[in-house]
Amino acid sequence: MNALERHRRLRAIWASEPGMRGWLSTVNHNDLGRMFLLTAFVFFGIGGLLAMLIRAQLATPHSAFAGPQIYNQIFTMHGTIMMFLFAIPCFEGLAIYLLPKILGTRDLAFPRLTAYGYWCYVFGGVMLLVAMLLGIAPDAGWFIYPPLSGAIHSPGINTDFWLIGITFVEISAIAAAVEITVSVLKYRAPGMALDKMPIFAWYALITALMILTGFPPLILGSVLLELERAFGLPFFQAELGGDSLLWQHLFWLFGHPEVYIIFLPAAGVISTVLPVMCRTTLLGYGWIVAAAVGLAFLSFGLWVHHMFTTGIPHMGLAFFSAASTLVAVPTAVQIFAWIGTMWKGRPELHLPMLHILGFFCTFVIGGLTGVMVAVVPFDWQAHDTAFITAHLHYVLFGGFVFPILAGVYYWLPHVTGQRRVFRLGEVAFALVFLGFHVTFLAMHWVGLMGQRRRIPTYAPEDGWTAINLISSVGSFVLAIGLAMILIDVVLHVLIAARGKRNPWRAGTLEWAMMTPPPAYTFASLPQVDSRTPLADDPHLAVRLARGEGYLATPREGARETLCVDIASGRPDMHVVYPANTRLPVTMSALTGVFFLSLLVKFYWTVPLALAGVAILACKWVWGNGRREDPEPVQVREGITLANAATARRSPGWWGTLFLLSADATFFGALLFGFAFLWTVAPGWPPPEWFAGAMVMAGIGGFGALIGPAAMRQAIRANRRGDTALPGIGLALVGALAVAAACAAVMVQTPAPMGHAYGATLLVLGGYGLFHAGLGALMAGFLAARVLRGFTSRVRQAEFSIVSLWIDYLSVIGLLVLLAAYLPGLLS
Amino acid sequence: MLAGGALIFALVMVLLLLSFTRRAPAGGEARQLRVWVIGLGLVFPLAVLGALLAYGLVIGERLLAREEPEVIRVSAEARRWTWRFTYEDAPGRRTEGVLHIPAGRPVDVAITTADVIHSFWVPRLAGKLDAIPGHVNTLRIEADRPGTYRGLSAEFSGAGYGGFTFLVSAHDAAGWAAFVEDTER
Amino acid sequence: MKDILRILIAPLLWLAAFSAVYGLLGLICGHGIGGTVLGLSLPRVLLIAAYGLAILLQAALLAALYHPRLAARSGFVRFVSRITGWAGLVAAGYTLFPVAVTSSCL
Repeated sequence: MNALERHRRLRAIWASEPGMRGWLSTVNHNDLGRMFLLTAFVFFGIGGLLAMLIRAQLATPHSAFAGPQIYNQIFTMHGTIMMFLFAIPCFEGLAIYLLPKILGTRDLAFPRLTAYGYWCYVFGGVMLLVAMLLGIAPDAGWFIYPPLSGAIHSPGINTDFWLIGITFVEISAIAAAVEITVSVLKYRAPGMALDKMPIFAWYALITALMILTGFPPLILGSVLLELERAFGLPFFQAELGGDSLLWQHLFWLFGHPEVYIIFLPAAGVISTVLPVMCRTTLLGYGWIVAAAVGLAFLSFGLWVHHMFTTGIPHMGLAFFSAASTLVAVPTAVQIFAWIGTMWKGRPELHLPMLHILGFFCTFVIGGLTGVMVAVVPFDWQAHDTAFITAHLHYVLFGGFVFPILAGVYYWLPHVTGQRRVFRLGEVAFALVFLGFHVTFLAMHWVGLMGQRRRIPTYAPEDGWTAINLISSVGSFVLAIGLAMILIDVVLHVLIAARGKRNPWRAGTLEWAMMTPPPAYTFASLPQVDSRTPLADDPHLAVRLARGEGYLATPREGARETLCVDIASGRPDMHVVYPANTRLPVTMSALTGVFFLSLLVKFYWTVPLALAGVAILACKWVWGNGRREDPEPVQVREGITLANAATARRSPGWWGTLFLLSADATFFGALLFGFAFLWTVAPGWPPPEWFAGAMVMAGIGGFGALIGPAAMRQAIRANRRGDTALPGIGLALVGALAVAAACAAVMVQTPAPMGHAYGATLLVLGGYGLFHAGLGALMAGFLAARVLRGFTSRVRQAEFSIVSLWIDYLSVIGLLVLLAAYLPGLLS
Repeated sequence: MLAGGALIFALVMVLLLLSFTRRAPAGGEARQLRVWVIGLGLVFPLAVLGALLAYGLVIGERLLAREEPEVIRVSAEARRWTWRFTYEDAPGRRTEGVLHIPAGRPVDVAITTADVIHSFWVPRLAGKLDAIPGHVNTLRIEADRPGTYRGLSAEFSGAGYGGFTFLVSAHDAAGWAAFVEDTER
Repeated sequence: MKDILRILIAPLLWLAAFSAVYGLLGLICGHGIGGTVLGLSLPRVLLIAAYGLAILLQAALLAALYHPRLAARSGFVRFVSRITGWAGLVAAGYTLFPVAVTSSCL
């Protein structure tokens, strides 16, 4: 088979459907990555327009441009859109587009999940936009502190749009994070051991792990606040045993890691692009990996520095002040390693490099002002002034937008296969750089003069008029610069000037393919022996197209790739991906119906939507299996691999593991909330403790203990060739027992509307009930699979996945029962 | 702090610029790592930050509202969009929008709120401290000389937030005595 | 996966210890725990003990990462896991040292 014929056959296998249908049914990372990025930049444009409105409002004193009601919506939506609908999805899009190519494989781990996440993002984002167009957008600030955002002070639907819309969007973040984690760990080119991974993959992995542990507290907070608003469960009402500080803790437990979730991918872009621009390799690869890991963890210990003025004891503040200054150390390691890389090589001033220099200037200032506000007494003055607004824009624009623009210009030739013709980008960069610094240096200054954040207007006597005008003029220069970048990119796409295949002479694998990239990426998968395989062998692309790699023979119309051992990169599984399907978009639409029903309080469609999602989920998984044992596949001369369905630790198992780690963080945050209210909130202890029937606790405890044992028995029986049904049946019974006990907790909890204690138990019980229901559904599903012959001694992957869920159910079931029964017993 | 920050920024910029002019890399990779990563990346920030942190903590400790015999106690309760002040030395006296204090004496303000979160901030007297439902936070302020000081609420509180300000009126000893006695009458 | 864990474990331990000490402070201040032991205030003694324990655990973990039987086989993972191990130890010492010097519940 020659290269052209291989290309034709692979293209037939991997092609998306033509036209609009293709948009809805594609599951390919190439399409979805670009769709993600495009959508994210549309939201960037919208958020940018809102920023222009803010600056127009503040340009002159006593501005009559917008009243406070509208102005509050504008700045709330600006922050919300930029954080949730631009920055995070932009990273997701970049990672989805880039990772399979840079890792030397054909697609991400769970293609349909990519599509599901994308549609959740689009639908959730559109919900927020509709709210904005109708003039009922959220208006309580992007961190919507209760009680201001509670039902009493914000009775309208505005805040519900935030809580429900953002939670909907977060599904896509969690989905993408699971996807990225498993892809980086398992879906790499053969031979790509951990130390040979491109640095961007390390950053993506760390960021994804951070999303898995950073977002659940926010989702929990949103759920609790929506429960309070909709059903009067008083989690944040001080007079009923709640505490508004709980929201701040949950929000910033997410909110601070969020800053680094945004910065780390950008650092990954810099670490990838900078060495190429300097014609050298990255200085201190291992140090940078360690620094990124350190940064990720430290960022989870900083959240209270957003709460320095809430009256927390000084020692508590001191811990977080110390951690906040310490986080500058791994940042400094990275910054200086990059500068060292520049000294090591010969920097060339291409356009991406200009944006990287822009990053250095801006981000270093943002970091230094960040260290200043980490000092408690300084923060007591600067907190909630324009100084903070300026600081955070230096960090986010410097730490994300400049690197992403560098990335855009670096990878654009890869996406289009073309080159730039006009030199518009250089002028645009100059305008963006100048405009940005004028805008926000001025804002630092006016902040130090006492201008608060979020004020709709000010008086001439305040003496801020000139500075604000300068800032507004700067912001319009910035906007013109960004518009020119947009024009530049559009021209690049429209003017068909054929580019070279590897224009930057980069060493990473994404350039070892034709551009624009085909849906299957690599005609055959490379063997990787260094961090820069393309630099070692400049003809790699041609050799791979000729089929001198793994999986060179397309077969049976199957989209194939292979998995590797995490540490060594040795190939260990053969994987066949699902093909185009409209299941993801349908399922996310149904998910949307669920959220929309909650939003408009049309509750009788909620169970219908939930049932629909559950049915589609079953259909989704049901389609994966086969009824005969798969033959091992020869992936290359002398190397034969078994199919993933025969593995104990299949990709699905890994995905489940990381999804559960996010779930566990959610549960941990819930337990933290319980403990926090107990120790800090006024109005505790509650008037009445939970005193449920001990027999229900016994039943639940029994169910929790029997489930994991039963599943293990089922797995052993299946492996012996015996029937696994008794074990699965027992696991089902165990899950139902846990469900009954949790339901009893929910029914018997004392006055959930009267005190936060009862409300918390209600949510804990609900959490347990939901997971028990899920466990029962899975056990039932597995039994059906066994009965229909979809499993065998060899095809055992599904057993270990269900077993993982049952184990998790067992742990949280016991903890829920303990949390419910123990306080009552002790008192 | 600002000057130190500017110095560090200048250092980074100079290093960046030099990378374009310098050609020969200084020694092998191990040596470069020692200079860039260990020297500039680890040791330098740790030293600077450690000193800064210690300085911040010392100042912070000094600003705390410790027990003192001379302290005047007042209470501040925020609601949208006004502050109500009450005085321990003048029971039954309540002022709205203006806080009266004696100059030259430490004053503890017990801050709380009747509705949403607000923040008590008199830039020239002290840092800010939040008013949080169900909690009472205590802020130590002290005015060196008599006069009127502008105060702001610095936590977004909805539609009337922009104009949510108040005044602190610091009296000399006689003025304060007159203010306190006014109640007894 | 074990190699990834080796890299992540030390900072994870720091995060756990950091949160635990902060939680302990919350408990002490929330419940007004007071009293003295050997002339020192009980809260201070408890907090310093927790601080010491955290440092001890980090040091033990670091030693394990250097131990030939427990260290990773890959040289790269050994290198990175030892840096993060040191980072955990330094972070514990640096971020929790306020237990010794600042006032606890003011």
